[in-house]
This record gives sequence, C-alpha cells and structure tokens, in this order.
Amino acid sequence: MSNLIPKRVKYRKQQRGKMKGNATRGNYVAFGDYGLQSLEVCWVSGRQLEAGRIAAQHFLRRQGKVFIRVFPDKPISKKPLETRMGTGKADVDFWAARIKPGTVLFEIAGVPEDLAKQAFARIANKMPVRCRFVGRRLAV
Amino acid sequence: MSKETPVLVAKKREKLGTRYSRRLRAAGQLPCNLYGHGSAPVAISVEEHATLYALKHGAHVLALKFDDGSTDTVLVKDLQFGFLGDNVIHMDLARVNLDEVVTVKVHLSFIGTPEAAKKPGAIVTHDMPEIEVTCKVRDIPEEIKTDLSHMEGEMLTVGQLKMPAGVTAASDANAAVIRVQFMKEEAAAGEAAAPAAGAAPEVLTAKKEEGADAKK
Repeated sequence: MSNLIPKRVKYRKQQRGKMKGNATRGNYVAFGDYGLQSLEVCWVSGRQLEAGRIAAQHFLRRQGKVFIRVFPDKPISKKPLETRMGTGKADVDFWAARIKPGTVLFEIAGVPEDLAKQAFARIANKMPVRCRFVGRRLAV
Repeated sequence: MSKETPVLVAKKREKLGTRYSRRLRAAGQLPCNLYGHGSAPVAISVEEHATLYALKHGAHVLALKFDDGSTDTVLVKDLQFGFLGDNVIHMDLARVNLDEVVTVKVHLSFIGTPEAAKKPGAIVTHDMPEIEVTCKVRDIPEEIKTDLSHMEGEMLTVGQLKMPAGVTAASDANAAVIRVQFMKEEAAAGEAAAPAAGAAPEVLTAKKEEGADAKK
C-alpha cells in the first residue's frame, strides 16, 4: 500500500506542538458535493488516510471522485520498544496530518447523497476521530 | 426574483457585542448589520429560521419590516459561519434599489446526464456549484437551471450556459462548470505517482549539517 509522505521537507524531525481550538481553514466543502468533517482533535497518519481512500473507492467502484483534503506533512518520531531513554530524538515512525474539530478530511463528487453517506461511513470507520457528514454550505 | 421577496421582521439591536449576540442566537434571532446608500450602519436582528429558509431557497433580496413600521429592501452581502463552518451566525445586509446593478453568486442546478457521461468509468464533476452574475436586483434568479442532456464534448464552460434575460455571467467565460472525467485512467496515474512505503523525503537542510560536521 502506497503511503502519503511529503516529497521534500526543510527539517527531518519536528516537535509535537499543540492543537488548540477549532479549524478555521479547510472547514467547509470546497471541491466535491459532500464531505466528511472531523469533530475531534487528532493526528491522522498517511496510512489511515490511504485506508479511508481505498475503502471509499472500493465501495464506490469508480463511480465518484474522492478528494483527500488533508496531507500528512508532520513527522512523528517514536522510540523503539525496550529502549532506554535519552540518546536524542528517535527516528520518524510515520507522517501525520494535524486535525482539529471542523477539518474536512474527505470529499466526494459525482455520486448521489445516499451513496456518498455510505462511502463516508466506511471512511469514518478507518479514522481515529468521530466524524460527521456535511454538504456544501450556503453561498451568497 | 421570480417569486415574491421574503419579508422578515427586524428589530434594532440596542446592546452590541459577543455576549448579547449569543443571547440573541439562543433566542432564535440572527444578528445582522445593515448598511449602504449613505445612511449610517445599523445593528439589527432578524428571525433565524425564516432567514435561513429564504437563503436555502435561493433568496438574495429580503424585505425588512421594522417595529416602527418602516421597511427596507436589502441584499445579502455576506454570511459569517460559526463553529464547524456551516452554521450562520451573522449576516451583512446592504440597502439596495430594485433597479441597481449588482454582482452576486447564484446557485447552478443541473438536469439530465451528458452523453459523454454514459460511457463506462465516467463521472460528472461540478467544478462550479455557484456562478457570479451581474444583473439588476429585481432580476436576480434563485438558481440557474441547465439541461446537460444536450451537452457537447466533455466540458461545459461558463460561456455555454444559458442565462435568464437581463443576467450576464461575471465569471471567466472559459472557466469549467461541469466536466466529465474518466476515473480508470486517473486512478492508475495516481497510484504510479504515489511514493513507495518506507521512502523518506528529501531534507533541504541536510547538506548544511554535513558541511558543519566537516568544519569541526
């Protein structure tokens, strides 16, 4: 299974950081007709995103287009098991996307609403957060 | 405005600020600001349910009826969204004349299926769910309906849309509104371009570190 990682980065490792508040960007459906919105804070790994994409595409059987709205650009390091503390920061274990409440994770275009809901239910099972189904918001 | 303009009962807001706005929302009111036509801006509130109902049905122009009996015709200029990005928490309204020319976004609705979309693996993507149009306030349509069954080729552009009388498109005429895409080829290309599992990204500062080590 191919994994989502950046092509190039400025620094090999990052500090953990904090995720306070709600998403103020990427919090509405922009490309597709329907979206899957996160309701919690988390790191979503590239592997989880890929699992979600595959689950949706297998269900939709190439009927619709699936958009992934987040990208795992944060390196998460992890020390190996049974290792003593110290000796510097550990190697990168996986790459994660920072998710805040309101972030739209996936979008689907070109399918009816009921089919999109079923596809998103399959994606939501692969996500480490509670999610909800959203449509496009009002525009004036 | 093919239907009648929705009439909303508006009240002037005496107390301003976050705390009082929140209380208004809890009481089923929507805080708004009313401005334009040289008059001083006024903070008002309207009934939330009726307003959202009108907006969801494509209304851009509203008629406000105040407690003192005065009325105003207003155009919805902007919406502010709250927590999770889809609940309307504030609205900007501009006073307008019905003969004023304005630019607004109008929802596009589609009927039928394009011929190109009947091929296996084809999907129809809506690149532009709303379109910017320029017209008189009285001519603002609730939505622009387009029949896709006569669509030629794999793309429908803004220039090919049939506009109602008195309405002109303000968006780029060559911009795509609808595209028919074929998923089989695209998925194969996406899988080929994706990096293999376990691959590491190029580190831009890695060379400098090596140079610093050599100096030591």
